Amino acid sequence: MVVDGLDLDVPAGEIVGLLGANGAGKTTTVECIQGLRKPDGGRLRVLGFDPVTQPERLRPLVGSQLQSSALPDRLRVAEALELFSAPHARDGGELLEQFGLTQRRRSVFSSLSGGERQRLFLVLALLNRPRLVILDELTQGLDPAARRNVWAAIRQLNDEGTTVLLVTHEMDEAEALCDRVAVMRAGHVIDAGAPADLVERHASTAVIRFSMPDPPAQLLDQVRRLDGVREVARSGARITVRGHRRIVAHVCAALVRWEPVPADLAISQPGLEDALLGLLNGNQEEQPTAGSARGELIGGRR
Amino acid sequence: MSTAVGRLVRAELKLMTRDPLVLTFVFAFPVVTMLIIGGAFGTRPDPAFDGTNPSHWYVASYLTVVIAATGLVMLPVHLASYRERGVLRRFAAAGFPRWSFAFAQLIVGLLTTAVACALLLAVAAPVYGIPAVHDVWRVAVALPLGAVAFVSLGVLLGSLLPSARAAQAVGLLLFFPSFLLGAGGPPPHVMGSVVKQVAGPLPLTLLTNAVRAPWLGLGPATGSLIGVAVLAVAASAAAARRTAL
Repeated sequence: MVVDGLDLDVPAGEIVGLLGANGAGKTTTVECIQGLRKPDGGRLRVLGFDPVTQPERLRPLVGSQLQSSALPDRLRVAEALELFSAPHARDGGELLEQFGLTQRRRSVFSSLSGGERQRLFLVLALLNRPRLVILDELTQGLDPAARRNVWAAIRQLNDEGTTVLLVTHEMDEAEALCDRVAVMRAGHVIDAGAPADLVERHASTAVIRFSMPDPPAQLLDQVRRLDGVREVARSGARITVRGHRRIVAHVCAALVRWEPVPADLAISQPGLEDALLGLLNGNQEEQPTAGSARGELIGGRR
Repeated sequence: MSTAVGRLVRAELKLMTRDPLVLTFVFAFPVVTMLIIGGAFGTRPDPAFDGTNPSHWYVASYLTVVIAATGLVMLPVHLASYRERGVLRRFAAAGFPRWSFAFAQLIVGLLTTAVACALLLAVAAPVYGIPAVHDVWRVAVALPLGAVAFVSLGVLLGSLLPSARAAQAVGLLLFFPSFLLGAGGPPPHVMGSVVKQVAGPLPLTLLTNAVRAPWLGLGPATGSLIGVAVLAVAASAAAARRTAL
């Protein structure tokens, strides 16, 4: 069983991310949502319709970019637009322009690069003014500029009221786009919420590092006593402070009062990736991914 | 043609004209082999060919080669390749009805055979001449029935075979023996008894006989025509049950 007891609500008008490790059941879930796969049980309603018994009413309202799918090799880009355009479709030419495919109008699908194919799938997903757009591994294979372009298009689409369900492995993408994310493991949603809430719940530790050849004991003591600081460690001139994300401003403020300010001050703030790792590993408090070896512990508290 | 099915049929027709397998197997192969074998036995009436002109025998036989190439090679490979690569999933997700793709293939398959048959006759006419059709109605019934039977068989095979490679292997394995024993090979009178027994019930043999015999005035071939009709009904019913492909 790939998906079991899944409880997932996608509020209208939101961008919701579906995250999880490979094999968590994300793609199976979106296939069920689109009626491409029949669930063994449970209740599934998409825009008020049952995807299994009412696919002909649901599918015109959904635009999707599927993983592991293709177009006929010899189909030209302009012909693909013609094939997938419903009578109420948007102007395909504008969409091609928006996603940088105008020059490829006459190119056959097999001659497109991976990034161009992804952009074409996105154009096709948006073509028929869908109320719900499902994007599975949306920006896989796109260069950074194309990725930003696609993100802007998704935001614009969402501003126009379209609901977006985004399946992704790219945490920066989920953080940049999603109002809410749901994290799946072994077919279940194990947590859901705004990206910031997930970070707060599962990866709230920030790490601050700086060098001070002869740090004043008063400074270290002041830092150690700050609310939220859990640990202050020293290794030679290198000092590492760990604690809740809110300590960052306080530690920096304390440092500013002691001249000279360390030139190598580095802050590792936890992100969604840390939260996801913490959550998937069943660890409630992961270190930010940029962590390093610890030195002598000179203070800390819980 | 602005409905989803209409758009699909139009796109598939365009794609068919760009498919090398179609151009090779459905259009070029029957014409080339008909020209070769049609000239191999001369034009003098021959008892081995039921007393007919051998060239005319093959002209009247080769329309069914076009139909078999479409049904046994072109369609299975096309459909299996689409399913393997996720093209059918994309069509389904885009809201094309479950039956629409199979329906589009039926239309494309029938039109392909019609065009390829016209091409075959156009090439045969100046070279060997087109034999007079003795029983127009029987030929006019047998050809479309055979086309429906083989195109449905092709849709069915394409829905059952797991990959384009498998479809190509199975399709060629079905096509060439059928072609040699039932349409484009030696006439039944020169075959050994075992080979003749094997060839007799093959679908392509039945279809060729149902077309060639009334065309050349060799008899009504009612048994063969009934066999083709049964195959058409059975194959189209089985294909319709698997319209999800």
